[in-house]
Amino acid sequence: MGDAVVGVVANPLSGRDIRRLVTQASVFPTAEKASMIQRMLTAFQAVGVDRVLLSTDLGGISASVLRTIGQRRSQGIRLPEIEFLDGQPIRQNAQDTVDSVRRMVAAGARVVVCLGGDGTARVAATAIGDAAMLALSTGTNNVFPVVREATIAGLAAGLVATGAVQEQGATTRAKLLEARAGARAETALVDVAVSTERHVGARAVWDPATLTHVFCAFAESDAIGLSSILGQLAPVGRREPRGVFARIAAGAPRRVLAPIAPGLVAPVGVTHVEQMVPGAAYPIEARAGVIAVDGERELEFGPGDQPTVMLRTDGPRCVDVPAVLAASARLGLLDPDRGAQTPTL
Amino acid sequence: MTDTLERKTPTREQLLDAYRTMRSIREFEERVHREFATGEIPGFVHLYAGEEASAAGVCLNLDERDTIASTHRGHGHCIAKGVNVGEMMAEIYGRRTGSCHGKGGSMHIADLSKGMLGANGIVGGGPPLICGTALAAKLKGTGGVSVAFFGDGGSNQGTTLESMNLACVWNLPAIFVAENNGYAESTASAWSVASDNIADRAAGFGMPGVIVDGFDFFATYEAASEAIARARQGGGPTLIEMKFTRYFGHFEGDQQTYRADEVEHARAELDCLERFAARVTETGELTRADLDAIDAEVGAEIDKAVDDAKAAPMPTEADLLTDVYVRY
Repeated sequence: MGDAVVGVVANPLSGRDIRRLVTQASVFPTAEKASMIQRMLTAFQAVGVDRVLLSTDLGGISASVLRTIGQRRSQGIRLPEIEFLDGQPIRQNAQDTVDSVRRMVAAGARVVVCLGGDGTARVAATAIGDAAMLALSTGTNNVFPVVREATIAGLAAGLVATGAVQEQGATTRAKLLEARAGARAETALVDVAVSTERHVGARAVWDPATLTHVFCAFAESDAIGLSSILGQLAPVGRREPRGVFARIAAGAPRRVLAPIAPGLVAPVGVTHVEQMVPGAAYPIEARAGVIAVDGERELEFGPGDQPTVMLRTDGPRCVDVPAVLAASARLGLLDPDRGAQTPTL
Repeated sequence: MTDTLERKTPTREQLLDAYRTMRSIREFEERVHREFATGEIPGFVHLYAGEEASAAGVCLNLDERDTIASTHRGHGHCIAKGVNVGEMMAEIYGRRTGSCHGKGGSMHIADLSKGMLGANGIVGGGPPLICGTALAAKLKGTGGVSVAFFGDGGSNQGTTLESMNLACVWNLPAIFVAENNGYAESTASAWSVASDNIADRAAGFGMPGVIVDGFDFFATYEAASEAIARARQGGGPTLIEMKFTRYFGHFEGDQQTYRADEVEHARAELDCLERFAARVTETGELTRADLDAIDAEVGAEIDKAVDDAKAAPMPTEADLLTDVYVRY
């Protein structure tokens, strides 16, 4: 058994939260998530991945993949060795993603592909250690995960896992935001927002009137979600060693129209914009509220919790798909006469 | 420019009401569980314990204009919509003082004066009923909304799917609440629901479909509040899928050989009452004393309901000929 191992974790619940009701967000069907995994398996085989570890779920994704790989193998299609990580309790919450990623890393996965939205990538990043991550979008607000054809993502993940592409730039280190309130802490990959709401409730944040602060590890001008507020006012790139934050107030004279959720472009008032430097704890001046990480309310805080946000530069190592495939072109790695596997169909 | 709906944060009175509703349901069901074991209660009972946040989160957003249709697991919906617990208990005991004069039993508790169209022994029987009441509300312009609760088993019935279609075609103020507790009797929903997530089916009908943590009152309340406000404004139907676990078997007496440690886990980690109490006392919205007072009142109320039910008379032969037809 070779050691080119890739893990694939798929969140069966991504793309189904309250934003389908309060905005016009789309549903990402289970069948398409399963189909994306199938397409990746073809790509993994093409570039010589030895073993693929797949998460299991009660949402029907792993069941669908299991059925289909049986059919494909019976048709003579070669696929890598596939192991379903079953045997762990499935709680149908974020812990399932954490448990799966941990097991994949412990079992030697060099790359873990995550199918989900920003929330899934955020949770997976907490467990991934030094393995590389490739986050593919199947969620609602997708800033961190890329919207990309799974076959191409599979080729890139495979080329990194096999060691065929080892160039500088094949993976890049993401930034993190660490939010603390009392003894509790959460990390975000894109943004931390503070809301005057009292409860986590239905989790998503979609009403700008409740916002008091937005902190961004990066803020791209073409982003969807809360980071779009600063994406227009003070853009920061993914690879820049800094972040940015803003204080938000509904009546502020400085306003921006921000696409804070699919189908929701809302005016947001901003009173103060400031760069963030890594390693410094930025205090949140609010007595009580909820901290949202990557668009989902997670941490409720009250007087005495003294919440802070810190920018860190030690986030997950992420596969840069265009860079990997550009390297593959330079090195001729997809030349079937030089080792790449020709699929049988 | 923005179509953000007005947000509703529960007031202190609403929080007290929510806790009282959830505690009443829990206490009612735990008591029926114990009393059923004595053999005094006729027929079958299907208990709602564990699912309280769904009924409470939805019904707290409803008023006297609104109607709900329930399931065989209907006690929680009845209590949340304001049906008298004394009359409910008497109905379950088959007494003349019951909501339906002792002739319906657990699976047929109804109180039209409260907008409670009835528990329903027919799986998938509720959704067609609310299409009727929602159409009436729309035609009369009352602003009323109708809610059908159904389970993961009910979600697979043709009646449910036909009702979703009709509600969307007629753009009715109808809310479909799929209470997915993981099992249709003993058949796992992971095995029997083809789209896996019931909420995913909404896209096929062109209505919003969302998944909510059914153990979290604040999540169920928020989703229901948005969906109901949307329906009242003419925005049409919504499908809300509540995911949770029922604490007891499908019916009382079910040996539950089909499931492992999920109830233990849910009671310890996810329980809606525990989470609610922890949250509202932490924020200072309510005090422990507020909650203790409700616990004591509810306990006494359920005790009285059981005592009164046991002491109440049975229906007589002559009662067989009453309440057969309804005059409109």
